[in-house]
Amino acid sequence: MARTVKRWLVLLAAVSLLLVNAVPAAASPAPYESYNYNYWKEAVPSPDAYLPKRTISGRDLGISEFKDPGDVNVSPSGLIYILDSGNNRIVVLDPEFKLLRVIDGFMTEGSKESFNLPGGLFVNEEEHIYIADTGNSRVVVLDGEGRLLHIITEPESDILSTQFQFQPLKLTVDHVGRVYVVAQGVYEGIMQFDESGTFIGYVGTNKVERDYGEYIWRMLSTKAQRAQMVLFVPTEFSNADIDPKGFVYATNIDPGSNEPIKRLNPSGEDVLKRFGYYDVKGDIRFRNNPGPSKLIDVKVLGDGMYSVLDATQNRVFTYDDEGHLLYIYGGKGNQVGTLKTPVAIEQSGEHHLVLDRGKNNLVVYEPSRFGSRVNEAVALHYRGEDTEAVNIWREVLKLNANYDIAYIGIGKSLLMEKKNEEALGYFELGMDRKSYSVAFKRHRREMMKEHFGTFLTAVIALIVILILTRVAAKWRRRRQVDREAGFH
Amino acid sequence: MKQDFIKFPLHLIFHPIDAFWDLKSDNRGRLFVALAALALTIIMMILQKQYAGFLVNYIDPRTINSIIEIATVAVPFFLWCMANWAVTTLMEGEGKFREIVLATGYSLIPVILVYAPMIVISRFMVQEETAFYYLFNSIAFFWFVLLLFIGMMTVHQYTVVKTIVTMVLTLIVMGIIVFLGALVFSMLQQLYEFGYNIYRELIFRT
Repeated sequence: MARTVKRWLVLLAAVSLLLVNAVPAAASPAPYESYNYNYWKEAVPSPDAYLPKRTISGRDLGISEFKDPGDVNVSPSGLIYILDSGNNRIVVLDPEFKLLRVIDGFMTEGSKESFNLPGGLFVNEEEHIYIADTGNSRVVVLDGEGRLLHIITEPESDILSTQFQFQPLKLTVDHVGRVYVVAQGVYEGIMQFDESGTFIGYVGTNKVERDYGEYIWRMLSTKAQRAQMVLFVPTEFSNADIDPKGFVYATNIDPGSNEPIKRLNPSGEDVLKRFGYYDVKGDIRFRNNPGPSKLIDVKVLGDGMYSVLDATQNRVFTYDDEGHLLYIYGGKGNQVGTLKTPVAIEQSGEHHLVLDRGKNNLVVYEPSRFGSRVNEAVALHYRGEDTEAVNIWREVLKLNANYDIAYIGIGKSLLMEKKNEEALGYFELGMDRKSYSVAFKRHRREMMKEHFGTFLTAVIALIVILILTRVAAKWRRRRQVDREAGFH
Repeated sequence: MKQDFIKFPLHLIFHPIDAFWDLKSDNRGRLFVALAALALTIIMMILQKQYAGFLVNYIDPRTINSIIEIATVAVPFFLWCMANWAVTTLMEGEGKFREIVLATGYSLIPVILVYAPMIVISRFMVQEETAFYYLFNSIAFFWFVLLLFIGMMTVHQYTVVKTIVTMVLTLIVMGIIVFLGALVFSMLQQLYEFGYNIYRELIFRT
């Protein structure tokens, strides 16, 4: 008897253990704390927008471990290309993160050539792979199978100095085949090559921020002293990406800049929209240590959104096309999901991929309910389908009632439907004064139209009464005067 | 009653040169009116922060604190009066302390008269019209400065240049008073700490 009871108890314990394991933990699975900035530039907690799903290392793929991987790119057909710089090879994965092939060199004139510490790569619609082969001072273009198409070598131009060393770091290619190269030590801008590989010129120079104190100091110093001083040269770009319309997004790592992200139009002007509450520059509140965000990669996500990778705090910041900060995720650390030395960010379908050079792996992030809802609503708003966006914004607000952009989104849709008075409240919650003013103007005009008649009637009646009382008073006074004079 | 509390102050802000002289020579000023003007100014400041229209109100509602509002208006007011009295006594000013308080208090009246309607009107303004809000607020401020200037000039029987000099000096003296006050306060604190430490030593040693 006692034995059966014991056996049952053991069984029960085993089953209970199984059940415990079956129920997933309800707590946040992210190893970082997500936050967002409110109107008053305070960092307020926010739900996690992206959650780490898994990491991919060389061993997971059945090949040798990555060594200092430098860049990752997803081709329009969905293949994932990892540039394994330390091993001088390119690892190609399918959208399910299975190994397809490894490209470790190419054939030219019958002999095999390999890469030398390549820094960046880009894959276009035709599956052509552009590799910035930094150590060999060239850009190599291969087709999808790894066959050589052509090589862009050191450019020759009058505007380049004779000691110029061409060291391409990162690159991006537009749909007509123009190559935009971020090269080392080039502060004139992004180098632009045409489809045949001839150097066209520079696009998008970073401006030098003028420091007036330094300016005066320079004026007061002697020529010999001035020769010893630091030169003020513009900062270099750190990375570039291209959006479907052909605008180049570029980042620089100038710590003092308020415009570290640029969206360059074909003539090289910065046309990034900055309509948010604050500058588009990653963290806007930080202590001196570790300092402002250092943006090292940018990825255009589609529907106007773009993500930037911050190497100071190892976080990813995502903005919409108007410059509103949508969400922030990631952080420093050694867990799955936190990053050691991130170098590149990419998007594969719904997932975000961040390449971590420090841990030699690729981290796959999956959108949470909050993140995917925000993405959906922003995309709908970008396409002009604001009415559909409203329901999603409302859902977002249930997940995060402090999400100002959702209030503005709902307000804008109400404005479109001519529900001006209701829109006012939402704009006030979202602190969008510009839209509030538009809504209020319409509301005020409506009120005027509706009530102006009543208002005018009241005013005229009041004036008439006033005149009548005056006349009456005057008449009475005259009567009194007359009576005193004895006329009555 | 009405004459002293409503008619004369309203007359003063439009005809300051005559009215300030009446205030001094005919003893027309009432301390109650001056202090009421100060109180109303403080109230207007608070109301403006709380109730001005959304388009012109950039104040974080969590940071509004009436006590601090009172301090930011009342402390400079009395500091000004004291500093001005101190300076003008040395510079042959004819004004008494009471007259300085009266002139300063009466000068605040335009601020009240402009702020009150502007708070209401700002709630019906759109973005393009907010320029008027800022315009009228600056008008109120310059009106106040002008009245203060004429008031000081009349009360102390100064020339224009001398008035400007004394007003600048007054601002400097205000700074000196604040500095000395902070110094004395910090010294007292240290003195207290010293005494308290000796007391503790004695307590623990015995």
